[in-house]
Amino acid sequence: MTSAGKKSVLIVIRHSPYGSSLARASLDTALAAAAFEQPVQLLFMGDGVLQLLANQDSKAIGARNMGSLLSSLPLYDINSVYVDAEAGLRYGVDLSRAPVATKALAGSEIHQLMSSFDHLLGF
Amino acid sequence: MIYSLLVVSSPASGGCTQTASGFARSLLTRGHSIHRVFFLDAGTDTGAATAVFPQDEVDRLQPWVELAEQHAVELILCISSALKRGMLDQAEANRHDRVAATIHPAFTISGLGQLVDATANSDRLVTFGG
Amino acid sequence: MILHTLNASPGSSAFNDCLKVITPGDSLLLMGDGVYAAIADTDASRKLGSCGAHIHILQQDAVARGIDKLVTEANRVDLDGFVTLTEQYPRQQAWY
Repeated sequence: MTSAGKKSVLIVIRHSPYGSSLARASLDTALAAAAFEQPVQLLFMGDGVLQLLANQDSKAIGARNMGSLLSSLPLYDINSVYVDAEAGLRYGVDLSRAPVATKALAGSEIHQLMSSFDHLLGF
Repeated sequence: MIYSLLVVSSPASGGCTQTASGFARSLLTRGHSIHRVFFLDAGTDTGAATAVFPQDEVDRLQPWVELAEQHAVELILCISSALKRGMLDQAEANRHDRVAATIHPAFTISGLGQLVDATANSDRLVTFGG
Repeated sequence: MILHTLNASPGSSAFNDCLKVITPGDSLLLMGDGVYAAIADTDASRKLGSCGAHIHILQQDAVARGIDKLVTEANRVDLDGFVTLTEQYPRQQAWY
């Protein structure tokens, strides 16, 4: 088994953007991986899909705008962003207007996606 | 095998960090090596040198200190998570003009790059949250 | 093959998201409040039973919480058993 070099990482994001600091921590981890040229992809599940709402404006609550942070992902060459389609539907999130382009997955496809990575980072 | 651990839960709530330190000890007993333990978000509370646990509960700091001192396990607190929780080493306390360092010297403050490095250099990455 | 760890009660979204993904051939380790999902004759444990994965339960957390009526298919493990599971499964997903 190899113990060095590049490992593929999927960051699984299940927390809403402003209700906890975990959402910010998960995206910062993704950006750090990209900065160190480690392959990383993202999956939004459950409450995590609420990060994909368009028109976030967090100035009045003094928090970092998570929507604009998400829209910067392609600048870091993070282009594979997956979303739990059922959760998006449940919360009425219009994925066509999300801050970043996503690929919608059914439940069975999520397992297949997760199984293709060396490491899963669950947030 | 080479393991790294990611701890995102606080020792002040629930037993997860206690489970994580016990898991780390089991890893070493079974002959594995630990590349790094990275504490993120509420997990950074683990490094608090000033935490006082009730006498009828176990000390949740000491097992980590033993892992660091007896087995040279590297314990890293995420800098952005740590600073906003008032978790400072002496250098950060000086830099930000705060009265005191608050983390135990068994822990080191560093960036998320250390977590990225841990994923790249470990066969297993085990996350402790909740 | 995925080792799932669940550290949240069966009323949580973590429980539901875990069940959505888990597949026969996976293992699920219940820890912390996750152990409540293994109480025999409950909706939660019936859902676990039908997911087809191997169910493990962290003994110390079940004992602490007074859970003595465990579903029969749950395999009790200590921390060494937890380590063994991570040896067997190349990746872990933490639900919490």
